[in-house]
Amino acid sequence: MLSSIKAKIITFYIAILFVILSVLGVLLYLSLSKIVYDAVDSGLLSRAKSLATLVDSDNSKTEFEFSDEIMWEYNSPKPKSFFQIRRLDGVTLEKSASLKDSELPFSGKEPRTYFKTILLNGTPTRLVNFHAPDEIENMSKNSGNGLIIQCAENIQNQLNLLKRYRLILSLSILSIMLISASGGFIISRKALAPVKDISDTVDKISEANLSERINVENVSKELQTLASSFNRTFDSLERSFNRQRQFAADASHELRTPLSVIMSQSEIVLRKERSSEEYKNALTAVIEAARMMSKIVRKLLTIARLGADKVDLKIENINLSGIIRESVNLLRPLAEQKGISINILATEPLVICGDRAALLELVTNLIDNAIKYNVPQGKIDISIKKETGFIVAEIKDTGIGIPEEDLDKVLDRFYQVDKSRSKESGGTGLGLSICNEIAKLHGGRIEIKSKLGEGTIVTIYLKGNGSEAK
Amino acid sequence: MRILIVEDEKSLADIIKKGLEEEGYVVDVAYNGEDGLFMAENEPSDLIILDIMLPIIDGMTILKRIRKAGVKTPVLMLTAKDTIMDKVSGLDSGADDYLTKPFLFDELLARIRALLRRNSDVKTSIIEIGDLIVDMATHEVKRGGKNISLSAKEYALVEYMALNKNKVLSRTSLTEHLYDQDFDLDSNVIDVFINRIRNKIDRGYNTKLIYTVRGAGYMLRG
Repeated sequence: MLSSIKAKIITFYIAILFVILSVLGVLLYLSLSKIVYDAVDSGLLSRAKSLATLVDSDNSKTEFEFSDEIMWEYNSPKPKSFFQIRRLDGVTLEKSASLKDSELPFSGKEPRTYFKTILLNGTPTRLVNFHAPDEIENMSKNSGNGLIIQCAENIQNQLNLLKRYRLILSLSILSIMLISASGGFIISRKALAPVKDISDTVDKISEANLSERINVENVSKELQTLASSFNRTFDSLERSFNRQRQFAADASHELRTPLSVIMSQSEIVLRKERSSEEYKNALTAVIEAARMMSKIVRKLLTIARLGADKVDLKIENINLSGIIRESVNLLRPLAEQKGISINILATEPLVICGDRAALLELVTNLIDNAIKYNVPQGKIDISIKKETGFIVAEIKDTGIGIPEEDLDKVLDRFYQVDKSRSKESGGTGLGLSICNEIAKLHGGRIEIKSKLGEGTIVTIYLKGNGSEAK
Repeated sequence: MRILIVEDEKSLADIIKKGLEEEGYVVDVAYNGEDGLFMAENEPSDLIILDIMLPIIDGMTILKRIRKAGVKTPVLMLTAKDTIMDKVSGLDSGADDYLTKPFLFDELLARIRALLRRNSDVKTSIIEIGDLIVDMATHEVKRGGKNISLSAKEYALVEYMALNKNKVLSRTSLTEHLYDQDFDLDSNVIDVFINRIRNKIDRGYNTKLIYTVRGAGYMLRG
């Protein structure tokens, strides 16, 4: 189960540490054992050499001038040192008393100076074979019979030392690894703590509590990207959630009044027998309220669709002047009823990228407002011009105007400056809100300037398709 | 009983007015906040039905203003705002009851009756004055177990006097509570109605229930 990052980090790190420490341990051990063997070997060699100096040899016989002081070392009750002197053919000329019945091994095939660890009577012993003629100057060269001096030493103590050293090394490595593992565990937990913080915060964020955010400044640098992308996701979630909630609240609120009308009308009329005239009036009122409801529902759905992040817009190059002419033609009969004249001041084709149906709805809505809230025999002037990055359309009416304190609220959903008036003209308070959404979808905005009793200027800014940039 | 409706949705205000009038109430309607505030302060109403979202002056402001001016008329808020916060702030601003749209007319009537009772000593919908029984839920009036048939206006007069039993009610106050603002207060129509109900209630009984207090007005007492 290496699914947790912590376990992975620790395992990987312990494995590396183990390899490094093992190599180090092996190297340390080898170097110590080399030092130990070198010391033993050089001792044996110098002992062999000193024995060689005591050999007095001529053609016929070989004599040894061994003093008791020298021999003491080889004759002690628990001897640690041994020697044996052989002829080149292997015949033993002399051996130390410490050897008793045993012999130092000799095959005759060894190189001239040669070290070997052997088992002598079950104890580990270091042995050196030494060819005397090579080193002994006073030995006659013509004898043809060199001597082989074998010196040996019990190295049990040295081996014990090495063994202890090996044990200490292994224990050290083991405890270092244990300490490192727990250290690593603590460090990795500390390093991963911000991740846990993030996940705790994320856990806290629920439907009811979407405004909670991860504090990016408290998060370590490496995790800041993660934290801020989490936050961005929550931002957009919260936005769309609030939009849904707002939509539901708006819808239920706006539908309550016509629903009350329908309920009260039916209930009160049904309380007793009525004339057919009264039934007719009640049903007419009910139908009117139902129509209002369906209009509100339709507009609300339009807004919900426009406000959704993925809108099914058919983007193409569109001549805005054409759209304006089209909606003016559509609305001219309505304007003529009130004796209102509509003038389009500029007609040069100005092309933007956008959705034809949405733009037509935008322009028609705004011109419709300019007619609805205009005075009889009023005027509407429409002009289009280029501005840096934008195509700007201006719809100017000579209508009743909007009070200054209401100006920044008219784009809000369901806001109606004069409710009774707009109810009479069938307004839902949603038209401008829809226009605003459409303008925003086209990378633009709507600005409204107005003077009470003089008229209103609605300016639509729409992002151009690039060709208008000067 | 005279009720003021302040509601900007004309079709809703009108149908409630119609329904209440059929129940024998006298109803005035204001279609915006400005008229509503003026009428609440200057017309003697027994109850005000108040919407919150109103043109010109909103219902909350009207409520606070009339309470500050000392108007103690019970106020029933009738509104589309249905969150707990809205209800709390409405009731805390001086409303006596809160009903959200859409509502059932029968519930509105029951709440109106309850609010009107609250201002009098009567705590159920049946008022007894001696052997006279006035049932405000069914609009039935009985004396000694015998049904008395009254016209809507006559019933309204009896009910108003019953709710204010043992109190002397002036002609002006009776007229104000039985007729809407367009009625001529100087007329002696109340004397005519008092005569009619006296004929229906007191005739043939030794104990009279309707008293005339000279120079002051009328009183219903058991």
